[in-house]
Amino acid sequence: MSSLLEVRGLAKRFGSVRALDGVDLDVAEGSLTGLIGPNGAGKSTAFACIAGAEKPSAGSVRFRGREIAGTAYHRVAALGIGRTYQLVQTFADMTVLEAVTTGALLRRARLRDAIAHAQEILAFVGLAEKRYRLGRALTVADKKRLEVARALATEPTLLLLDEVMAGLTPAECGAAVELLRRILARGVTVLMVEHVMEVLMPIAEHVVVIAAGKTIFSGTAAGAVRDAGVIEAYLGSPLEHGEIAGHAP
Amino acid sequence: MTARPHLYALGAIVVLGLLAAFGVRDAVVLDLVFTLLLYAVLGQSWNWISGYAGNISFGHAIFFGCGAYASALCVTHGLTPWLAIPAGALAAAALALVTGFPTLGLRGHYFSIATIAVAALVETFARTTPWLGKANGFELPIASGWAALQFPQKGPYVVLALALFAAVQLATIALERSRLGYYLRALRANHAAAASVGIDERRCKLIAFAWSATMASAAGVLYAQYTLFIDPPSTLALAISIDIALIGVVGGIGTLWGPAAGALVYVVLAKAVALRFGGAGKGYDLVIYGAIICLIAALRPYGIVGTIVDAIRRRRGSIAVGPGAAAETPA
Ligand SMILES: Nc1ncnc2c1ncn2[C@@H]1O[C@H](COP(=O)(O)OP(=O)(O)OP(=O)(O)O)[C@@H](O)[C@H]1O
Ligand SMILES: [Mg+2]
Repeated sequence: MSSLLEVRGLAKRFGSVRALDGVDLDVAEGSLTGLIGPNGAGKSTAFACIAGAEKPSAGSVRFRGREIAGTAYHRVAALGIGRTYQLVQTFADMTVLEAVTTGALLRRARLRDAIAHAQEILAFVGLAEKRYRLGRALTVADKKRLEVARALATEPTLLLLDEVMAGLTPAECGAAVELLRRILARGVTVLMVEHVMEVLMPIAEHVVVIAAGKTIFSGTAAGAVRDAGVIEAYLGSPLEHGEIAGHAP
Repeated sequence: MTARPHLYALGAIVVLGLLAAFGVRDAVVLDLVFTLLLYAVLGQSWNWISGYAGNISFGHAIFFGCGAYASALCVTHGLTPWLAIPAGALAAAALALVTGFPTLGLRGHYFSIATIAVAALVETFARTTPWLGKANGFELPIASGWAALQFPQKGPYVVLALALFAAVQLATIALERSRLGYYLRALRANHAAAASVGIDERRCKLIAFAWSATMASAAGVLYAQYTLFIDPPSTLALAISIDIALIGVVGGIGTLWGPAAGALVYVVLAKAVALRFGGAGKGYDLVIYGAIICLIAALRPYGIVGTIVDAIRRRRGSIAVGPGAAAETPA
């Protein structure tokens, strides 16, 4: 099992705030890895540092064996890391098709080819019928789907999904899990932040738990909910208690 | 989206313009048409960087000035004014790159401030530099014919302005259907999301800015050949930069026909005020224009053409009409 992504000692300070303070994580090629942790643990910041949206203060990020920490955001995308945002960031005044075409242009020189690829991706994620809607006119569930489509259109090797299921109805969640399985079947490796353990348990081979900016656990999802350190981290923030303990077997 | 309706519209304008150029004898009307086309080109030039790319330039006059001064320098040194087209474009593009390189990747208003600063610097430089004619500027020696790019009548100037306008509109139609066009719109909508799909903001915007400067420079060459007199106030002043930006905003930023619509409003208004009040009305047009801008800012932030496009989209149902949709309209 080779690691597609290897993060070691990742740290990020925002002024005096230590958002990340030693994150280690590995993502095996072809796997779905879950990244969990209480609110404010630093999950989204870790994503930002991996994707190049933020420059890490220290630590190493190796992607396909190559050091990419501090590489410009758009270059990381070109290297093959796609992402979605926890708070959706759509191209509000572009249609769905235009937005996904924009992603497809990364690997396609001609606009016509990019549009064709975008149509294919839209059919894949189930947004084909809404392709002429404006990004800002979509429901939250569809906006999240659009972000996944836009990232997929860049043909990433690794896809970072930040709470793509938050705020979805159970039915929408089910559809999203099904989409995730098809994304994995395409050969895309996924690292995802997800609060609901029920969702993660059946699909994640591996989970990494971070708390207060540090990796505190790495192993199976079943192992995570039994781990004393993990339980303590969640109990330390009572709001989160129900979330993980409630789903413990 | 097909380009065909736009090409038909452009064709119709070219035909109308040619009819005017060859059929109309009234110098006042021809002067109006020439000015209109020139402003439409300047507005579109501004639209590339400030509309499509979303970085407001307040110094566009200096690119116009590059062309005008290149023309004056060529002619006064015994060179063909045709040389001024590439020379002015090179100077303008170089100025654009120097202004844009440090600022086009930054958030905030650094770019806009830099355009003002560089424009002020360039204007002062021209005002104080002997080989640029200092404050007196240049009077171009009279000549005639296509080689000298000077004509006794206004008709050929209208033809040239029409050709430039058509070229700029065609380039913009192509932009809207190109990778660069998609990338600029994506950057304007959300720069972070744009980077996440591999878009290099600075590179894209520098390319757009360089082309923008090139277009304005071509308009400057034509202007110098038309008036045969240029000086800093008529080609480099901040007031001209503001006019160009106003035209872009009124017509509708980031739209193909916005600059032409803005130029039409601008030229007609200026003429109407001049006719009504004569020389005493100087400045009234700006007051009215300012009022229009305020109205647009308050009611229709996408300008004339943007409003029409919005209406068409609404009829096709691609916008959810309602408070939710309105709340998410970018400022
Ligand atoms: N740009 C920023 N400036 C200052 N502090 C920040 C910034 N971004 C994140 N932080 C802080 O870093 C810490 C980690 O935030 P982050 O958003 O990464 O957490 P998270 O694990 O994604 O939380 P959530 O589950 O709520 O999404 C928080 O304390 C947050 O306030
Ligand atoms: Mg988060």
